[in-house]
Amino acid sequence: MKRHRKHLHGVTSIDYYACQSGLRQWNGCYKVCAAIVILILCLLLDNPWVSMAVILTMGVVNLRGNGVSFPVYLGLLKIPIAFLLLGGLGVALSISSHPIEPMSISMHWFYLYVTRETLMEALQLFLKAMGAVSALYLLALSTPASELTAVLRSIHMPKLLVELMYMIYRFIFILMNVQQGMKNAAISRLGDADFKTSCTTFGQIGGNLLILSLKKANTYYDAMISRGYEGDFPFWEEKKSVKAWQLVILGLYITVLLLIAMITSVIDK
Amino acid sequence: MRDEILNVQHLSYGYPSGHLALSDISLSIGSGERIAIMGSNGAGKSTFFLNLNGVLKAQSGEIYYQGTKISGKELKELRRHVGFVFQDADSQMIASTVQAEVAFGPMNLKLSRDEVEKRVTQALQYMDLQSYRQRPPHYLSGGEKKRVSIADIIAMQSEIILFDEPTAALDPLSADMLEQVLADLSREGKTLLISTHDVNFAYRWAERILVFDRGKILADGNPLEVFLQEQVLEQAHLKKPEMLKVYEILSAQGLIKQGSYPREAGELAKALIG
Repeated sequence: MKRHRKHLHGVTSIDYYACQSGLRQWNGCYKVCAAIVILILCLLLDNPWVSMAVILTMGVVNLRGNGVSFPVYLGLLKIPIAFLLLGGLGVALSISSHPIEPMSISMHWFYLYVTRETLMEALQLFLKAMGAVSALYLLALSTPASELTAVLRSIHMPKLLVELMYMIYRFIFILMNVQQGMKNAAISRLGDADFKTSCTTFGQIGGNLLILSLKKANTYYDAMISRGYEGDFPFWEEKKSVKAWQLVILGLYITVLLLIAMITSVIDK
Repeated sequence: MRDEILNVQHLSYGYPSGHLALSDISLSIGSGERIAIMGSNGAGKSTFFLNLNGVLKAQSGEIYYQGTKISGKELKELRRHVGFVFQDADSQMIASTVQAEVAFGPMNLKLSRDEVEKRVTQALQYMDLQSYRQRPPHYLSGGEKKRVSIADIIAMQSEIILFDEPTAALDPLSADMLEQVLADLSREGKTLLISTHDVNFAYRWAERILVFDRGKILADGNPLEVFLQEQVLEQAHLKKPEMLKVYEILSAQGLIKQGSYPREAGELAKALIG
């Protein structure tokens, strides 16, 4: 299958990569469990070395296994990185009325200062969260929504919630397609000529989006009804069994993370 | 005379806005017929299909499937026997792989897993889609999506299949493939109803043409009968098929066998050569 065939952004690209991922054929429950276990380890061990190992290994798996190109992966990480940097800044910086060593910046009325401890704390927090985010990307980039709903169903999540979740997920794509089409049509008629026009165009697209999506939603519903939909999504689920070697890999990976945690904590002492 | 499969009596349907989309439609459809539905935009073709499929419920009138009157409970039955291929293939796509997409209908019919698998495999084979099995349908090309949307309905094994403007937005290659599939389905005894604006296609393919105009049936007959009625063509804004025009010109000059009415190039050649 061709990869990177289309230039896609944001949510659409996540869905696209999940559909063509090399890990697509792995059992859905396994992927969910693996991602959650890694995430929890990252948070509980609270060890910067473990976090770095997770960020690195998850990066490799996402690039190689899930077939996401490096620039795209970087693009996906950009948003969480921006948030974490801002959050980290808040942790690292403190306020004081007099200058504090080793580094403080005068803000006329008060001093902003950074100590080694707060800096380390911020760095550790950043790495921990990035590890968790990478683990979640492992899940998001390898498991399409329909497979996730199948997993939720198998752990007996209420049917209503699961189906609602899937429908909402589908409709996000419908909305985005409709919006993209209108935006292109508007731009081709110079709807973005200057800032004021852009704003008007944006407003008009917003208004039309509602009407058009309602119409689309109706057609979609008709199409479902005509194929025998009776308020229930009995989706076809492929039987993907968990292979022994996959469990072994996960086991080894967890052991290695625990070992890293143990060794580094011994050294630190 | 063919066995009657569907009978519509005095069907009227109005949209909530008050616009009457269908008024007093009555007709009988024989098993295995190839019917083209024509008429300008807004003539009621799509509404008619949605009614035949049991998606919309008419305010008055009855539909009989193989002699059984369809009401309330049997609406679901009707959807089982009548498949609907939507104009916009995208609006049909629900699942995230072609396989799951084609399986959606059979799963809704509450068939066993083995039976669903069998039907999906058959339908994919029929539309030459085996290699697309694991692909996400949303990212396929227009022609491929159309094929998936037809496989969706083939897997449900409906006796009657409705196509809403199937050739719209298809490239010539996909359109040829579609005509081939229609021929195959017809040979297997399926009853096919196709709404189309393509007079040439209707003239060559259909054995019966229904012309809709403002919610009423304006004409109902074999292609020749319909296309020879100048007044019908004018009222429904239909053009005469090219083959028929060519025949009429040649016929006026006495250059072609009288009454041969060729419907495609091969038949024209035969009528000319002898």
